[in-house]
Amino acid sequence: MSNVTLINSLTGLLILTSLLVIEVKKPRWSAIMYSLQSLVLVVILAALAYEYEAEELYLWVASAFVTKVVLVPWILYGALMRVGDPEKPRNVMGTTPSLFMTAIALTVSFIVVNQIHLRAAEPFKPALAVSMAHFFFGNLCILTQRNLFKQVLGFCLMENGSHLTLALLAYKAPEIVEIGIATDAVFAVVIMVGLGYQIYKNLGTLDTADLNTLKG
Amino acid sequence: MTDTMVLTWLLFVPLILSLMAFAARWLGGLSRFLVLAFHLGSVTLTLILSLFTAEAVLEEGHFFGLGNWLYVDALGVIFLLIIGVVGFLVGIYSIGYTRHDLQTGEIDTHKLSTYYGLFNLFLFTMLLVVTANNIIMMWVAVEATTLGSAFLVGIYGHRASLEAAWKYIMICTVGVAFGLYGTVLVYSDAFNVMQVPGNAVLWTEIIKNTELLDPTLIKMAFVFVLVGFGTKAGLFPMHSWLPDAHSEAPSPISALLSGVLLNCALLVIFRFSTISNLVLGPSFAQTLFLIFGTISVAVAAFFIYVQRDIKRLLAYSSVENVGLIVMAFGIGGSAGIFAGLLQAINHSLVKSLMFCTSGNILIKYRSRSLDQVRGMLQVIPYSSALLMVGALALVGTPPLNIFLSKFFIITSGFGAGHFWLMALCLLFLVVIFAAFFRVIASTLLGERPDSITRGEANWLTLLPGAALAILIVALGLYIPSELMSLLNGASDLALYGNTGQQVTMSMKDYLSPLAQFLR
Repeated sequence: MSNVTLINSLTGLLILTSLLVIEVKKPRWSAIMYSLQSLVLVVILAALAYEYEAEELYLWVASAFVTKVVLVPWILYGALMRVGDPEKPRNVMGTTPSLFMTAIALTVSFIVVNQIHLRAAEPFKPALAVSMAHFFFGNLCILTQRNLFKQVLGFCLMENGSHLTLALLAYKAPEIVEIGIATDAVFAVVIMVGLGYQIYKNLGTLDTADLNTLKG
Repeated sequence: MTDTMVLTWLLFVPLILSLMAFAARWLGGLSRFLVLAFHLGSVTLTLILSLFTAEAVLEEGHFFGLGNWLYVDALGVIFLLIIGVVGFLVGIYSIGYTRHDLQTGEIDTHKLSTYYGLFNLFLFTMLLVVTANNIIMMWVAVEATTLGSAFLVGIYGHRASLEAAWKYIMICTVGVAFGLYGTVLVYSDAFNVMQVPGNAVLWTEIIKNTELLDPTLIKMAFVFVLVGFGTKAGLFPMHSWLPDAHSEAPSPISALLSGVLLNCALLVIFRFSTISNLVLGPSFAQTLFLIFGTISVAVAAFFIYVQRDIKRLLAYSSVENVGLIVMAFGIGGSAGIFAGLLQAINHSLVKSLMFCTSGNILIKYRSRSLDQVRGMLQVIPYSSALLMVGALALVGTPPLNIFLSKFFIITSGFGAGHFWLMALCLLFLVVIFAAFFRVIASTLLGERPDSITRGEANWLTLLPGAALAILIVALGLYIPSELMSLLNGASDLALYGNTGQQVTMSMKDYLSPLAQFLR
């Protein structure tokens, strides 16, 4: 199997892990699934680095491993354990409609990516479409999940999509660009988790349906 | 001090003083005094340094800092001045406002230190947005503004403020993630076609190579950017965080959010629209601007009319004004862009005044409800006068500043042939006029509730408002030649990038679209 085929195939695993992040019942398992997805992303980055002999990407591999595979899931897992990892609230949407929406997002992404004529994108159009679809998976997670921390994971999925797009289209980008994005994303997660924890401490809930004081 | 040094200090000062304000909580009995001293130092130096920067831009046109990662030109410096002036005045107002919060026990010294630490960190992140030349850093800075200000929105720890803070951080972070995707697309495109790929991250270099960029990718990227940073700017339908965050935040923070932050997000959109204009021609971005702008004004007019909470009403007025600014950019041409930028400056001043005054109302009446705030003229006469100036300015009453910019927007719209759109816009503005007229009548007049005592909170809650009111009147009567020169330069940049073409127009020229239309 060539490296290009391997990379395009591995993005299939990204779809699977995204679905698991969105659909598993226990939020702490979502955090673990996110870590698994980030590990797949790290492998894709390593394969890209090998394919293009791009040394810069090896630094991305290291920083993505630290921030996405370890740090972000650890922060979320820790916070969820502190609040007792509540299985409820239920999702706004069931699994079947959620799968249907995922399929639509993938189809639309493939159609859009097909319109792009960029030399760097040619071999990786399937992977590029999946990276773009991740953006919509993240949105889907935020819109359908009522648990505050699972909404944070939705943001993380979106961020993984952007990260993969950047790696596919600009694999020789200076590492400072990638580190800037990754660091900012970690800060965002820390602050969102901090605020979520404060809400739990003050209001005793992680359910967005309970945050209904402000309307109109 | 060299210009580059000024730029570095401009960022360095609020960042360091913010950290010192955070740290001052551990200094025992002196901590309250030191927190305020660091804060005062930060806002004052930021104002002085932003004025220095503006002077340098007037002399040299533009300059770089930190190895080309920072860049200031006429367009950026207009927004920089907004941060400097509004940041300083709202910073002073904050001292009076938090003094009252300390007296009532709403906050303690620990929270005061957090408040001023975050306040100045927020200023730093906004300064970074408007001075960034590195488009990835620009995104990081916009994201950082959300992270820096989310805790400020929820600082009181009440149910409503925490809820508003969550909505704010979640909606804006997701929105800005769209912005990241758009930024990544532009960067990747430039990276693949530019001779020096390392420069693909710099806005000033991208606009020199726009003929090499892929139009489909840029089209996609601009849509992502507009939706993403448009969320942060408060454009409809991505505005839903704005009324909650603006109404639940402490009033000085509402003033910063509305008067400054929304403009920073708009600047980022305008930077990307320049790229879009050069790659695709102006019609693509202009059409999107006209659609989003008009809908924002229309929806905001409706919400303003039905609103009974004064801060939410002001928040929806921000949606309206952002809509007008974007609409002006949609009209395009030098006249439209000039009008849009003037509206951005004017709105910042007026909305800061209005939010500061709403803070004075809240201090006195302990309520934001228009049903409970009555007889202001008897209770807080000076704040009443400020509210009157602000409200009249907001609805575009001559000779106050917003009249001038709204007038320019409408005339440039007529001049560009958007007759029906401008007629519709005028209709919405009449609805908003009626809503604000009702606010003035119901709050200033009427019988003072018995439980409310007469007298203002303290002079620090009035002085910045008075300064803002003076600026509002002054800019309505006269636009200084220096500002005119910056506005011309900024129109040139927004239209052509820094390709060397220049807009040199006078006030008379900006009125010519109307003359043309009338002929």
